[in-house]
Amino acid sequence: MEKILDKKRIDDWIAALTDWEVLAPALQDGIWTYKPVSGAARLDHPNTRQSPKELTFPQREIFFSFEQIKGEPPKLTQILPKETRHVVFGVRSCDGKGVPRMDKVFTDHVEDTYYTTRRKNVAYVGLACNKPPSSTCFCLSVGGSPVSTDGLDVQMTDLGDRYFVKAITETGKALMKAAGSLLAEAAAADQKQVKQVHADAVAYPQRKINDPDGAPAKLKASFNSPLWDEMARACIGCGICTFLCPTCHCFDINDEVQSKAPLKGQRVRTWDNCQFPDFTMHSSGHNPRENTGARLRQRVNHKFQYFHENFGMHQCTGCGRCVSECPVGIDIVAVVNKVTENVG
Amino acid sequence: MINIKDIRDTARDMLAKGEVRTVIGYRRGSRGMPAEPAFITSPEQADELIWDPTCYHNLSLYLVHDRKISAHLQKNSGLPIAIVAKGCDARSIVVLMQEHYFKREDVYIIGVSCEGTGVLDERKLASHLNGVQPTLAAFDGDDYVFTTAEGEKRLPAREVMADRCLECRIPFPKEHNLVFGDDKTGRQLAEPFAALTKFEEQGNSERWDIWSHHFDRCMRCFACRSVCPMCYCDECVVDSITFPVTQQTSAAEKADRVRWIERSAMRSENITYLMTRAMHLAGRCTDCGECDRACPVNIPIRMLNNKMEREAREKFGYEPGASIGGPSLVASFLDNDPGDFIR
Amino acid sequence: MSEQQNYEPRVVAFLCKWCSSAGSDLAGVSRIQYPPNATPITVPCTGAVSPMYILSAFNKGADGVLVSGCHIGDCHYIEGNFLARRKMQLIMQLLEFIGVEPNRFRMSWVSAAEGAKFAQVITDFVDDLKPLGPQEKLKKADRI
Repeated sequence: MEKILDKKRIDDWIAALTDWEVLAPALQDGIWTYKPVSGAARLDHPNTRQSPKELTFPQREIFFSFEQIKGEPPKLTQILPKETRHVVFGVRSCDGKGVPRMDKVFTDHVEDTYYTTRRKNVAYVGLACNKPPSSTCFCLSVGGSPVSTDGLDVQMTDLGDRYFVKAITETGKALMKAAGSLLAEAAAADQKQVKQVHADAVAYPQRKINDPDGAPAKLKASFNSPLWDEMARACIGCGICTFLCPTCHCFDINDEVQSKAPLKGQRVRTWDNCQFPDFTMHSSGHNPRENTGARLRQRVNHKFQYFHENFGMHQCTGCGRCVSECPVGIDIVAVVNKVTENVG
Repeated sequence: MINIKDIRDTARDMLAKGEVRTVIGYRRGSRGMPAEPAFITSPEQADELIWDPTCYHNLSLYLVHDRKISAHLQKNSGLPIAIVAKGCDARSIVVLMQEHYFKREDVYIIGVSCEGTGVLDERKLASHLNGVQPTLAAFDGDDYVFTTAEGEKRLPAREVMADRCLECRIPFPKEHNLVFGDDKTGRQLAEPFAALTKFEEQGNSERWDIWSHHFDRCMRCFACRSVCPMCYCDECVVDSITFPVTQQTSAAEKADRVRWIERSAMRSENITYLMTRAMHLAGRCTDCGECDRACPVNIPIRMLNNKMEREAREKFGYEPGASIGGPSLVASFLDNDPGDFIR
Repeated sequence: MSEQQNYEPRVVAFLCKWCSSAGSDLAGVSRIQYPPNATPITVPCTGAVSPMYILSAFNKGADGVLVSGCHIGDCHYIEGNFLARRKMQLIMQLLEFIGVEPNRFRMSWVSAAEGAKFAQVITDFVDDLKPLGPQEKLKKADRI
């Protein structure tokens, strides 16, 4: 299903999606964030500061509540996420590519009910990049493209005064059907223009990982390289790179005790971050990843080696957030290039 | 005007003579315009050093890192470290020495004066350049000059300078072994605490509306803590590494555990975290503004620290980072400290 | 409306063991009537009260926090209350800055001989807290 939407009518389409809660990028406090749409939706954003992963993998997920009254057996109550249907507009291709990667993690081996409950209720309406929105983009290096449809339900392409709208999945078709007559049939000229726009987008120069295919083996061979410590020398050990990443998924589980008598509380899952000094800290005080070099290696190898070994694809989608937002200039592209170049 | 050659020569010379172990400075980053911290250990590398409006980082953080690493390895570090320090950075080093974190002879301060300018605020720049991404920034008198794909762009520094630099009272590293650039103390381009004063004109409930909105947005990535040279505690109250949990740990013991702040990023916990941090920085923060710059969601963290700085200044006449031998704010007092709030 | 009238604020009171804590005992043995809203926590000295205690009390649901110690010059450890005076000033300013009602936090000097003053401090505090209603700003929400 390929249609044309007048740019001015995007709000009417959003208004027609009555069964869904619609989110779109909004500029607030100086950053672009996915927000529930109120009034006119703007899709002139570069990319959002945070990826849309929060919708399926929220920073705080309550698993169950617990309660123990003296003399009674403990009471556990599972708390599943609310089944609100969300549709996200303006998802860039890199973030779209993050979706199947998160799916792998949370469904491939063991199905994570909390994730799947949220996931089945989210649809992604992508917006192809006519040119890379940031100077730190590198999707082409990691098997992506500025116009990739992976993970998306609908893909929109900006054609100046109108959008070319293409359904990718059945959910996408349903979303487009809801628009009714707002969407006109795409003419041959539109088709031609889209092809051209997409070709231009792919041809636009990007930063490059020199040998992405050789990376898994080369990284494996470089595990003990002194380069890691050297490159992580400036790392401050914050969580920006992982918290903004569309595919970082490490989490921590904690019991949050609300009251002691009776014992009451919740078990919650929160995001964890491999760059924190206490990431793998043992209770003995021993830490197998005790310096920033070992922790940087963990993140880079996870993206480019371990994930590749497990699922046959790079986990990194090339959005460039960790590069542009790192306060001290740690650059995953430069890191991978440097390490891989130093292997024979 | 600072000539980068002077800094490079100094670094090369000191490393060649074996006077210092490392020179911590700035170098060109791999991702475009912003500089990144450089750790120069051999004379040949000295030419990597740069000095431009993107040298934001307070490098004294790496003196803390170095200290922690040598403590961990139980190795005496030997030779001193040389460090390029702006006015605010040098004051941070003074606070660290005031707190006996390291000794004066452990560090060689290559001071750089901020003269007529300070450093850039990339957020302000973005609104001026309208999507164009510069690849290089340079000082030129009271202007910044940016190299972009569309040619050179010149902007008066005051328009895109970080707020803390506009408000800076002492843009000169008073404590130094060697200093480049002229002392322009008093150059003050904006009223100190200008943003704070403006914010405080609002009523209680307006202030709460603004702050609660920001507290809700905190992701607890701890970039503000990690980037701060003053946040050097081995165990931070927000971390959960102090309480070992084994199979034998009973539910009651877990419940009894002092957990100041939950790991969840929710308003109440974020407040406790950010407020605790502001309290711990009272009288120690030298307004380098790194927390503000690092915050990925633009929470005006600097304002909390500014508030404490101004209170300390107005109520107790305290100036952070003024002298190595001076007392610390909360471990000292004056007989006539204000007490009229006490019943 | 009736709920508002029945609202009883919960006060966490950090009391110095050398003065205010004994002062509260004196208020008791002297049979002075004062509101039962305060939960006393005895501390060795107000100088030992970390601002974290105050934040934590609010985090765990206190409607008001009181710190009470020895008059200036009377500190058992000579200078603990001087240090407390500075620290409490700072945390008070910070709380007010982010928009917490100024009346939620209070500091007082109450000696072991001032049972009546202790009762008065608590009475005044509770009276001032009542119109503010429950403290929700810093309290951990029961998000289930």
